Amino acid sequence: MAFLDISSVSKSFGSVSILRDVDLSIEEGEFVVFVGPSGCGKSTLLRMISGLEEISAGTISIAGEVMNEIEPADRGAAMVFQSYALYPHMTTFENVSFGLRMAHKARDFIAGRVNEAATILQLEKLLARKPGQLSGGQKQRVAIGRAIVREPRVFLFDEPLSNLDAELRVQMRAELTELHKRLGTTMIYVTHDQIEAMTLADKMVVMAGGLIQQAGPPLTLYDDPDNQFVAGFVGSPKMNFLAGQLASVDAGSVKLSGVGGAADITLPIGGVGGGARAVTLGVRPEHLTIAGDDAPGALSGRVTLVEELGAESFVHLTVADGTPMIVRARRDAARAGSRVRLGIDAGRALLFERDGQRIRGSLSLQ
Amino acid sequence: MSTMRKQRRLTVWTALKWALALAIALVAVFPIWWMINVVFAQAGEPVSLNPRLWPTSLGAGIDKIATIFAETGYLRAYGISILYALLTIAGVLLVGSLAAFEFSLFEFPGRKILFGVVLLALMVPTAVTIIPTYVLVSRLGWLNTMEGLVVPGLASAFGLFMLVQFMRAIPKDMIEAARLDGAGHFQIYWHVVLPLCRNALVTLAILTFIQTWGNYMWPLIVGTREELYTVGQVVGQFNSPLSHHTVDTVMTANLLAAVPPLIFFLIFQRQIVQGIAMSGSKG
Repeated sequence: MAFLDISSVSKSFGSVSILRDVDLSIEEGEFVVFVGPSGCGKSTLLRMISGLEEISAGTISIAGEVMNEIEPADRGAAMVFQSYALYPHMTTFENVSFGLRMAHKARDFIAGRVNEAATILQLEKLLARKPGQLSGGQKQRVAIGRAIVREPRVFLFDEPLSNLDAELRVQMRAELTELHKRLGTTMIYVTHDQIEAMTLADKMVVMAGGLIQQAGPPLTLYDDPDNQFVAGFVGSPKMNFLAGQLASVDAGSVKLSGVGGAADITLPIGGVGGGARAVTLGVRPEHLTIAGDDAPGALSGRVTLVEELGAESFVHLTVADGTPMIVRARRDAARAGSRVRLGIDAGRALLFERDGQRIRGSLSLQ
Repeated sequence: MSTMRKQRRLTVWTALKWALALAIALVAVFPIWWMINVVFAQAGEPVSLNPRLWPTSLGAGIDKIATIFAETGYLRAYGISILYALLTIAGVLLVGSLAAFEFSLFEFPGRKILFGVVLLALMVPTAVTIIPTYVLVSRLGWLNTMEGLVVPGLASAFGLFMLVQFMRAIPKDMIEAARLDGAGHFQIYWHVVLPLCRNALVTLAILTFIQTWGNYMWPLIVGTREELYTVGQVVGQFNSPLSHHTVDTVMTANLLAAVPPLIFFLIFQRQIVQGIAMSGSKG
């Protein structure tokens, strides 16, 4: 049994179902990130682990002990809120020590713990200040400090960086990774920002519509998504999706026709079952190359916009059936308004059924 | 040109506003000023054929005050009034904040209906409830007692409404963070919610003080024995049509009754205005 085990967990508010039959195992010391669009149930799942939200069905257990009926404070979980939730009338010291004071710990013990946390988070000079006198990043550290002093078994973070500016967010991300290395405690982190998820996670859990779409190491989800939602959600710029027809199948490949309205493409995916049908081709922007209009290549399109980023450029174009695409290309690769041909790295392209499920084939060469 | 005209119109408007404000202030302040004028002057001087608009004798005023303290139960009435006000304030704050804590931050069956009943109580005039309350207090044997004076005033619908509005603005995250930190229900109330409501509590305390100090009707009904007379009742005796007191003595008694709330207001006026503004805009 895993350290934290979520088994067939469901949650509904009245007749509205938020989470359906969720199963997830988290190992001790893992950094797990729940990621998904707004309303996918990720925060609700986190709150259910913390005990702030009741579990409608299923069980959540930590270290083999079922937590469903255990009070939030007794679960050994500490949470950092998006709003920080610092008590404005208390100093940093009082905020950080609040939990220990509620537990009636000795003064020396409290001072020791708080000072230890303050050292880790560089809060030593801020202990006498109230939240109103702290910057966003400092407030964030105090909120983390409040979690650390309780020495929890699990840290829970509910979109903790979303109120910070971009630069500070990058810095805090690095600090969180450092903190995780240092403490070695299990951390569960909720965000809607997939870049945050990719950079922080040991295990990334993509959620949508109250279901876990896929869980695994970030790069596995990036390279080998289970469905079109995960493929589209993970990665920036997004994966390109083109409608097409599965024309024929042989032992080592599939032939697609009418991709993006016109192109015929062969993919090295073997053992695909079923007959001819409508499918979706998925290609990441970096697996496309831009060539001149006279170059060989099945797909062609008209460039609508070129975003120059210095080292590279994002070329936006539309193909024959009007589908928009993005290509990650070298600098000055194309001009807006021109027609270009696209080369596809067929070995990296993915195939999906129209309902979004991945077509892997039994003899996939990928 | 149009700008100039606009500016001139603004100036006239401002002047009008000032004139109105001054007129209202004059109407409000003059009686108090006249009271001071009558007290701190030789007897009869302010109402003579040639009245003075300013005090002329500090000594005469002090003599009148000393006479009142020496010859009437005014000092005891002060004590009773202060005790009545303090006990009511403590009770209103405690009962109101505990009830508001539950109403504003927690879900429980019947919450909306109960709160509706409370709001309804806000709209019922005191005159309607005064007889049933009297009967209840009388049956409890609380006539002519401090508990009879204080207890019926502890459940303040206005106070509850104001505190609920205020507490609704407290972020739920903060309460949940406290729960995760192991704070119990009462600890959350005591350590988190009450300190965050400090301004509202101060405002409610002041408003309760002013209301209690000026409450004439209920003490008159429930406390028929002289030992339980509040300042209001003592002043009422001075003012009664058959009293033998001269206008100076009556004014002195009135002044003594008006001083504590005036001092209170001068000290706390900022919190009063802030609190009333807050209770009106938040939630």
